[in-house]
Amino acid sequence: MKKFFSELSTNKKLAIFGFMLGLFALTAGNPYGGTSIKVNEKELALSTVGNSDKVLVTDLADWIIKAKADYELVDLRSEEKYSEYTIPNSQCIPIAQLPQSELFRNQKIVLFSDDNIDAAKAWFILKSKGYKGVYILDGGLDVWKEKVLFPKTPINGSEKEIAQFEKMKEVATYFGGQAQTDSSSTEIKQQISLPTTNLNSTQVTVPKGKKKKREGC
Amino acid sequence: MTSLTKTFTKAFEKDESHVHIEIKAKPYSNPYLVGIGLGLVLLAAFVIMGRGLGASGAVSTAVAVTVNTIAPSHASGNQFYTEYLGDGKTSPFKDWLVFEVLGVIAGGFLSGSLAHRVKKGVDKGPRVSNRTRLIYAFVGGGLMGFGAKLARGCTSGQALSGGAILNLGSWAFMMMVFAGGYAAAYFLRRQWL
Amino acid sequence: MNAPFYKFNLFGFDVSLIIAFAIGIGFGFMLERGGFGSARILAAQFYLGNMRVLKVMFTAIVTAMLGIFYLSVIGYLDLSLIYVSNTYILPQVLGGLILGVGFVIGGYCPGTSMVAFSTGKIDGLVYVLGVAFGIFVFGEMFPMLEGFFNSTDLGKQTLPSFLGLSYGLVVFLVVVMAIGAFIAAEWSEKKFADRNPEKSI
Repeated sequence: MKKFFSELSTNKKLAIFGFMLGLFALTAGNPYGGTSIKVNEKELALSTVGNSDKVLVTDLADWIIKAKADYELVDLRSEEKYSEYTIPNSQCIPIAQLPQSELFRNQKIVLFSDDNIDAAKAWFILKSKGYKGVYILDGGLDVWKEKVLFPKTPINGSEKEIAQFEKMKEVATYFGGQAQTDSSSTEIKQQISLPTTNLNSTQVTVPKGKKKKREGC
Repeated sequence: MTSLTKTFTKAFEKDESHVHIEIKAKPYSNPYLVGIGLGLVLLAAFVIMGRGLGASGAVSTAVAVTVNTIAPSHASGNQFYTEYLGDGKTSPFKDWLVFEVLGVIAGGFLSGSLAHRVKKGVDKGPRVSNRTRLIYAFVGGGLMGFGAKLARGCTSGQALSGGAILNLGSWAFMMMVFAGGYAAAYFLRRQWL
Repeated sequence: MNAPFYKFNLFGFDVSLIIAFAIGIGFGFMLERGGFGSARILAAQFYLGNMRVLKVMFTAIVTAMLGIFYLSVIGYLDLSLIYVSNTYILPQVLGGLILGVGFVIGGYCPGTSMVAFSTGKIDGLVYVLGVAFGIFVFGEMFPMLEGFFNSTDLGKQTLPSFLGLSYGLVVFLVVVMAIGAFIAAEWSEKKFADRNPEKSI
């Protein structure tokens, strides 16, 4: 057998070698197997303790103002809602398209939706696909609007709280919102139009390699 | 397996060992071994970058930039050009395919020099003049450029790279390239035979 | 699992350009080694006298395909992150036909014409200019062609998903088909040996 093999020409050896690899491929398994969902439930459960998987809206506002760029902000809502209003610097990836998105696995990713529910689902999808740093914007856009865009004067607030409110007023103005000095003005809040999205997004630098260029030939 | 690697290294060693003796052009290497080498380069592109090889895309960038320099408003109104011009912040030439094609030119020259195959001239069939050959080259190139854009890739981008990842469109494309080639071959036999 | 490296952000965009250049060198080197810098050898493929195009191309496809398959099976490579372009079947079929005709007329394809040019072939340079002109014509006609260009979109289709077969089975079939094609190619080269320009170069 060995003699037979060594007497063959290079081309025939290669053909046999290739054929064997092809034959073995029949039983080798599914190449997408590596991408199927594997969940380490313990790790997932632990990461929810102590809210280590959440980002506060005030922290996020701070990052945006300081122009931190070490994270990807993902808006999980539909594109219509995204074009109406979104948090500056975010990109729109509706939750259905999340598994096909081109997010990198070792990026810090902050997910948000209107509330926590969709973001939590998306968080699970990404975690199970092996993404490392996935975070939920705590409370989503609802809390973002309440705390960052239209913060309310604390009723009977302590000095510390009032000082904090003064700061938040500036932050609200930065994002095109307005602080609510009258604490009972929920109706007024409805009338105030949401700031236009492109207010700050003009300063956004396009992430590397995300140009609208094709990858193909 | 050891004999396999031996023949593998021999195939490439052959070219260096005779450098001093003969200046004549060396014969081309075993196509199957070259194919494996090319396949490994392609595999490296997939493993490192997650994408395949290409060629016509770089020419498209050059065309888009040229049009944009001569008639900027014309180029910006055409989606085909804007796609290659990018967002305007970075140079369109800072592109993966452009650098890859520069490498192709360097690699071709390197291999050609090692085997004494770099020679100025026109490569043509025995029965046609240089002028005819160059006209045919231009016309053929034109068709190829047009077809490659219509098919979203050329032989490297679609057939080779798409073929390896079993892309349906790439295989359909590859079969049609051979079909078109064999269909047209008869009418052009005077040029080559 | 940590490949494709770029998609896992192991290096940045600028480094990717250096890698592009290095991979390009390998690509160009192999094309030249294979005889793809010569229009006569490339064209002889269509007169059955020299089957290097088929041999090199199919061997490369099989090698890369097997490599991708096995690296994915062992979980080293994330196949879902590899860029698969959408299939637009009619434009691709028609584009392929035009390309094939252009191949016989011009004697090169875009990649090989770069190699021909780099080894001093004037027709290679003229061919590259032709490609640029063809792309320019396409660009100018694009508003007219756009409808057809975007028609018959089948999405991201691979042979396994389209045929409903397992990936491994398609890999096997491609290997068998390639070996069959190689046997036919060897036979054809013997039969049409008088049409092989390699001997006289």
